Amino acid sequence: MSNLLIAATSVSNSPITHAGKAIGLALGVGLGALGAGIGIGNIFGSMIQSVARQPELRGELTGIQWLGFALTEAVVFYGLLGSILAYVLV
Amino acid sequence: MKRWLLIATTAALAFPTAAFARGKFDPTTEFEQHEWISIHIGGLNLSITKAVVYLMIGTVLTILMGLGLMRWKVTSDKDVGRRQSFGEQIYEIAQVQVAEQGLPTKAIGRWFPYVATLMLFIFVINFLGFIPLPLTGETWHGVPVWGIYAATSSISVTLALALLTFFFTHIEGIRWNGPVRYFKSWIPDAPKPLLGLIVPLEILGQFMRLISLSVRLFANMLAGHILILTFIGLIFILQSLVLAVFVVPVAAVFYLFEVVIVIGIQAFIFAALSAIYIGSAIEPEH
Repeated sequence: MSNLLIAATSVSNSPITHAGKAIGLALGVGLGALGAGIGIGNIFGSMIQSVARQPELRGELTGIQWLGFALTEAVVFYGLLGSILAYVLV
Repeated sequence: MKRWLLIATTAALAFPTAAFARGKFDPTTEFEQHEWISIHIGGLNLSITKAVVYLMIGTVLTILMGLGLMRWKVTSDKDVGRRQSFGEQIYEIAQVQVAEQGLPTKAIGRWFPYVATLMLFIFVINFLGFIPLPLTGETWHGVPVWGIYAATSSISVTLALALLTFFFTHIEGIRWNGPVRYFKSWIPDAPKPLLGLIVPLEILGQFMRLISLSVRLFANMLAGHILILTFIGLIFILQSLVLAVFVVPVAAVFYLFEVVIVIGIQAFIFAALSAIYIGSAIEPEH
């Protein structure tokens, strides 16, 4: 365990560490964006379908739609925040 | 009107004077807080920084907006025009979409002002964040440098707002239901052996609300600003002015996306979720 720690601290400033952190940041944000993209697509797709079936419900559905949009979109930012924290702190 | 707005936006974004003043550009420096007026009381740091100034301006503007839209004395039919209908529209969104969605009828009189204020205030400070103001704290040949910055892109601001909702939620829950019934409502109907697993998660969930409420607003505004500033900053990072032809329109598109969609939605969602949380504490499901 202590050997591992020493090894980890000795390479923490090498270019490879920087590269790894950058890859981690990009992967974190990218995967977060992937999930949120699918989610937001689902929300707007369902909204289009529901309005096509029952156009009179549009007003009520719009509020729910934006609520869902904002809740889903926030997932990217949790990923972004976690990745930035990992990038800065590790 | 729309065309002029677009041209003005593009022109405003084409002059990132803060970068000209320094000679180089780093988007992260835009979010640093310098103590303009130092106020230290004991261990507390109450200094006036950029975010505090933006908050103060936002507060004054919110009050003025409320006075101008709602408290205007109608003297003739001419006044009952744009201003009143605009005020009524805002009121209706706050009443129908935010308060009545989350709050039970018996608590709406008490908590409608809070959620409506929250919505208007967050909207105003978000909107203020996309208007270039000479508040970057830097000067270029003696002229204050103009820049965009939102107070909500600092986590201290959003966390304070989320803490307000957090405390109001539990105070109201205890006040309406009594401490025993309120904390009992956190324990869901589940088989006995599972309770040891579910109850800690439920308690953790109450605190996760605090994090999700504050981080959602904070990260949205921060990411929006970083996106715009980074695209403009590419000119300075790659050191070619030709890039402006490509980069400035892209930044303008992101700017319009943020202004038209994101700031309104974030203000709405913060208020709506506050209403839902407070409402669900006043009337627990079981």
